[in-house]
Amino acid sequence: MAEPRIRKRFEKVRRYFFLRESTYDMTNRCNIRCEGCYYFTGEKQFAAENNDLEDWRQLLESEKKRGITFVVLAGAEPSLVPRLCEACYRVIPLGAIATNGLKTIPREIDYRIHVSVWGNDRTSLAIRKAPDMLARQMANYRDDPRAVFVYTFTPVNIEEAREVTELLAANGMKITFNMFSAPVGYSGYLRHTPQTLARTEQVMAELLAEFPATVLFSPYNIVAHTRQQGLHELFSCSYPRMNPSTSIGLGRSFRQYRTDLRWDRDAACCVPDTDCTDCRHYAAGSAVVTARMYRHATDPATFSAWLDYVDTYLAVWVRGYEKEPNLHDAPVAPPPNN
Amino acid sequence: MTTDINQTITQITEIIINELKLEDVTPQTFDPDLDLVDEVGIDSMDLATIALVLRDVYGIRIEEDDYPKLTTVRIIAEYIDNKLTSGE
Repeated sequence: MAEPRIRKRFEKVRRYFFLRESTYDMTNRCNIRCEGCYYFTGEKQFAAENNDLEDWRQLLESEKKRGITFVVLAGAEPSLVPRLCEACYRVIPLGAIATNGLKTIPREIDYRIHVSVWGNDRTSLAIRKAPDMLARQMANYRDDPRAVFVYTFTPVNIEEAREVTELLAANGMKITFNMFSAPVGYSGYLRHTPQTLARTEQVMAELLAEFPATVLFSPYNIVAHTRQQGLHELFSCSYPRMNPSTSIGLGRSFRQYRTDLRWDRDAACCVPDTDCTDCRHYAAGSAVVTARMYRHATDPATFSAWLDYVDTYLAVWVRGYEKEPNLHDAPVAPPPNN
Repeated sequence: MTTDINQTITQITEIIINELKLEDVTPQTFDPDLDLVDEVGIDSMDLATIALVLRDVYGIRIEEDDYPKLTTVRIIAEYIDNKLTSGE
């Protein structure tokens, strides 16, 4: 912290320590059906839809009262219910929407928009059963500063990440990286292996080095998300599903609401029904790694790597936050998880 | 011991006020028995920030698992005092 550039970065990111998130399933409908989709696993997909604008407004007002400052609108496909999304935005103006990008979310909803990409259009057609996905996603979000494309690495699309990144770079768009994390009970071909994790690590590093203006990521993001150990084993997950403490932090404030506006502490995390031992999800890491500031404050390199991770998290999730150049260009090992 | 604890309480209060930029309160008016989460409104990242400063000031390590126990300034002061006394 004594180094001026580290202190300066810390002061920049700490202004966002007030962010307290919860997530909301907006509808149980989707316009595509993907292999390995976390939403259509477990009980939450069977929750009834509540489409009453006043009920949603009241929920968000009560969320605001209990200190929630950031919302993530997710499952199954929020773009199908834009009026509900707008009702949320009117009450809590900081947030992000996870979408497949096939239907444009109105500009009035000024949240960060995460457009999910699962490979090139051939692979998307095979896994998501939708033709011309990337072309349609790019057309919908061209020149839209809300959008960041989230490339989910699976064992079968690692070599396509370059093609997608080049295309997005040529069109002035941003991309960040996610890892396919198996839903509970999933044993299909999208589950990563030690070999695919190693290859993903290599490709991520190449793309980050070659496209620094396009790729929102850092060397420490690569370390945290491509290790054979999942996020919980590396950092101890702080979401209620894995964290019994209700005294402070996510264990106290985080909720994951289903489409019927109910929540269940035992299932509460950002990607419910994901197999926790296989979880390397970008949204999980954004909270789990970020929360572990103290243990990263061991030496300038480790703390710089953590700051790069937080800087990436804010650039990916918060509208208007601009990513800085990474402070530390080499990978560092995660601190011990005692 | 009581004097030492009171000194530690004042120092910790100053650190919290400075680090979290709390307004309308001074080390003299800050109640050391206020619940920091429920009544002051600090969260885990605030506590981690304070823990980093306390580590540098007192040369002690505050375990992440201990955060939930550190609910008031007085409890933090006693925690530090115990660490210093036991030489941990």
